[in-house]
Amino acid sequence: MLLQNRPVDYFVAMMKLTAILLISLVPLCLSAQETEEPVSPEMFGVGHLTEYLGLKPDDISFRSDYTEPDSFRLAVVADLMHQPLGMIDYVASLKGAYVSTQPEILASVLFQDLKVQRQKTRSRPYQPDVGQLQRRYSLYFNEPGFNQFLSRVAQYVDIILPRSVDKSLALLSPEQRKFLRQEFVELVTVPDNQESLSVEAIDSIENVEEGYTEKFVSFGTLYDKDPTISAGIDCLRELNTELGHLIRQLKSGQIKAGKIMNGAVYLPEGTDRNSYLGVQNGWKIGGTGNDYYSGQYKFIFDFGGDDIYDLSYDMDNPQSTIIIDLSGNDSYRGQTDGLFGSGFLSIGILLDFEGDDIYRAGSFSLGSGFFGFGILYDAAGNDFYQGDNHTEGAGTFGLGLLIDEGGHDIYDASLNAQGCGSVEGAGVLYDRKGSDCYRVGGKYNDILRYEEHDLSFSQGFAAGMSPYMSGGIGALFDIEGNDAYISDIFAQGSSYWWSLGILYDSAGNDNYQSYQYAQGCGTHMTLGTLIDDYGNDVYYGKGLMQGCGHDYACGLILDRHGDDVYTASDLSQAGGSANGVGILIDNDGDDRYFINDPNMTHGYGNPRRDYGSIGLFIDLGGDDLTNGLGQNNYYWRTGSKWGGGVDIELIPPEETEDGDDN
Amino acid sequence: MTTKNVIVTATLLLLISLWMVPSASAQNQLHRQIDSLFVMASSGEVRYRDMVEPAIEEIAAIGAGAMPILIDKFASKSPRERHTVRKIIQKIGVPAIPDLVAALTHPDWHIVNRCCWVLADVGDSTVVKPLQKVSDHERWMVRSQAVTALGKIGVGGAEQTVRQALDDSVGLVRKSAAVAIGRLGFAEAIPELVHVLGDDFYGARMASMEALLKLDSSVVITTLADSLNSDNDFVGDLGCRVLGELASDEAMDLLLAQTESVDPDRRAHAAVALFEADPEDMCGWRDAIIEAETDRLTRLKIESVLRSTE
Repeated sequence: MLLQNRPVDYFVAMMKLTAILLISLVPLCLSAQETEEPVSPEMFGVGHLTEYLGLKPDDISFRSDYTEPDSFRLAVVADLMHQPLGMIDYVASLKGAYVSTQPEILASVLFQDLKVQRQKTRSRPYQPDVGQLQRRYSLYFNEPGFNQFLSRVAQYVDIILPRSVDKSLALLSPEQRKFLRQEFVELVTVPDNQESLSVEAIDSIENVEEGYTEKFVSFGTLYDKDPTISAGIDCLRELNTELGHLIRQLKSGQIKAGKIMNGAVYLPEGTDRNSYLGVQNGWKIGGTGNDYYSGQYKFIFDFGGDDIYDLSYDMDNPQSTIIIDLSGNDSYRGQTDGLFGSGFLSIGILLDFEGDDIYRAGSFSLGSGFFGFGILYDAAGNDFYQGDNHTEGAGTFGLGLLIDEGGHDIYDASLNAQGCGSVEGAGVLYDRKGSDCYRVGGKYNDILRYEEHDLSFSQGFAAGMSPYMSGGIGALFDIEGNDAYISDIFAQGSSYWWSLGILYDSAGNDNYQSYQYAQGCGTHMTLGTLIDDYGNDVYYGKGLMQGCGHDYACGLILDRHGDDVYTASDLSQAGGSANGVGILIDNDGDDRYFINDPNMTHGYGNPRRDYGSIGLFIDLGGDDLTNGLGQNNYYWRTGSKWGGGVDIELIPPEETEDGDDN
Repeated sequence: MTTKNVIVTATLLLLISLWMVPSASAQNQLHRQIDSLFVMASSGEVRYRDMVEPAIEEIAAIGAGAMPILIDKFASKSPRERHTVRKIIQKIGVPAIPDLVAALTHPDWHIVNRCCWVLADVGDSTVVKPLQKVSDHERWMVRSQAVTALGKIGVGGAEQTVRQALDDSVGLVRKSAAVAIGRLGFAEAIPELVHVLGDDFYGARMASMEALLKLDSSVVITTLADSLNSDNDFVGDLGCRVLGELASDEAMDLLLAQTESVDPDRRAHAAVALFEADPEDMCGWRDAIIEAETDRLTRLKIESVLRSTE
């Protein structure tokens, strides 16, 4: 009122208010400047070297239209192709998305990243109606908490999972669904006798497969993976919560497995078992003894003991499956393909909470999502995994996860495994603890390139089906332990055709062995990265590796700490080819770089399409040794188009604690 | 129509069809022969490597008669097959030109693009006009390929078309234009090329740098002298590289001046160019430049050049 009556006072008051606001904003602006994110050593290195070469970090970028963009391209891959250096932050975010004992969080993040560019919205799982939710069973077991858990399982196994799968397939005809089970399977399978085929026979197979691909492209967008994957994740989340509660009760003695099993009601002959919760057809509840399961199941719950699972799966009649084993050294032995955390046009969940387990399975197994969602979660123990093709964390039009929380584990597979993503798919293997061994290969010969080498397509590998369909995301994360990675052709943070391959190892002295297209390599419009944070590591291979990008692709290897040894023959260690970008960054440690051909390594870019590629070799610290182009405290520009390197001390010796002799 | 006319017409039709049947049959046979050879010619398997070259030679020996079939094969989605087609057409050479030019109006832009690609290898002055016509094609890849072909063919008449392509909205087309200007030796475009040294796309920047080295050096140096202090650092930085390569007295003087820049990166570019141009330090600038350098990493860049020439 006073101000309204006196305009001058009003003006003065407003001036004072403005002054106060301005004064209060100054510290805010200053603090914003002060809190500006520091540039990471690797990004400093990239900026510094590119400037020296007459380039800039933004030059590491690819167009989306070198070929006709297809309808299956993942938005996250498209974005990263535009700025491939973003792979470094993306890997960090994906690593951080895993929360111990909560695999559903990582699964949810990956589900978000499976958004295709054309998608405006994401579909939800099937929502049961009230009648379906209120479905009543007669009780077989007498423990209320356990019955509540089983009721929830029944809702998923009987209603939500199968109907969500149906929702994903709803727009496809019966013939098209059959095509997914049969012809499309051939597209992700390599004949194991192809080295004995004639040129005409191979050409014929190639033509047939091209025909399959063209046929699928004509209706593939009708398949909607979202309801299936999101239903699987919802199921995982709910069951995991309920299971946590149940396990706590069992451990505290509030409830006892023996009492639950012994307290079950007696069912006279002729009783309709399907009306009793826990004993429906395809269900099995096992006690704490050593149990043997054979055949095909929808749901198995085992309280403990050293169990054997000799299971089978009808690939022509896919069904969703949940297996939960609380403890014991178990043996999972697949009698067919499509087992143990396998979503083959379905949802497959396997949760094993304790024990040293052995998993042996064929193809589409052990955390495989093929037009489906599959997760194998192993919480503890020294485990052994063996699969053939599309296994151990593999996804095609789906999500496949293999998560192992602890123990010294051995992973063995033939192809498309250990973190492999194909079209609209993500395959992730996440191992948290223990010194592990990853091996892939030995079965499918690489007839295009070498008679004596095998295809791997694994260990953080992703691929599309050129030129029809962009690929997915394949990632292998290992957080602790001294690990060994053994593969042959296409592996260890590599990819092909509009995809993203990631191998990340956080700690330990690791050994990486591969032959070609590996260890941070992208070939043909795609992205691959290998990032190792700590430990004294060994990288070994022949060519197109250790930071190599070929044909509008980017391959990046980043080793942040430790005294490392890199050995490769040619077109490696920062080699860019056919307008690709190859980057090697080693932030710290006394490293050794060995190569065979100095003309195609250590900052090499070859000319193609009348311009160059980019090769960036960056070592930011330590007393290093090489038989290539670099030297300590040295900048170089190779005669190639375009590339070079730096081997400098990012932090000058006099500025380090150790550097002060006084 | 009289009975006589009907008989005459029927007889004529019969004769025509009798003439055409063997012709169509021969065409089918040729098609089958080329298809069969092409499977071997485009085989990628290691074991069948020895079959590839003979098959390519055999198809090429057919000559222009194989062109319609080969142009159809340019629609293949397999890069290996497309490269095989290109190899065969390269071997056929000049007789392939009429079919390739005719295909520049093909409705499938991929085929147009690939015909431009191979015309760059076999084309002559007769294809300049047809290529100019597609140099403003709606697809950037066709524009890029057409401009590249014009540069590679290297005959007069295409200069202005290529010059215009330096302003294309797509970096890869600007790159092709810069390369083509160098190949054509089109000195009038030097100011535009210097401008492209600051291009957002590295392919264009680097191509421009190389093209400038092929053109009249005195004009290049004069133009660069006016542009070294451009707001776009790349123009000056890459300009230093060009001056270092040219290494004339005027170029060296310009570089020497740049070693006193307030920007340490520019000082490094200038000093590196100077030292590379004068590895024996005939001009005696080396010590003074190193001594004056206060920035640790800039000094290291300069010293690295000396170590590389040791």
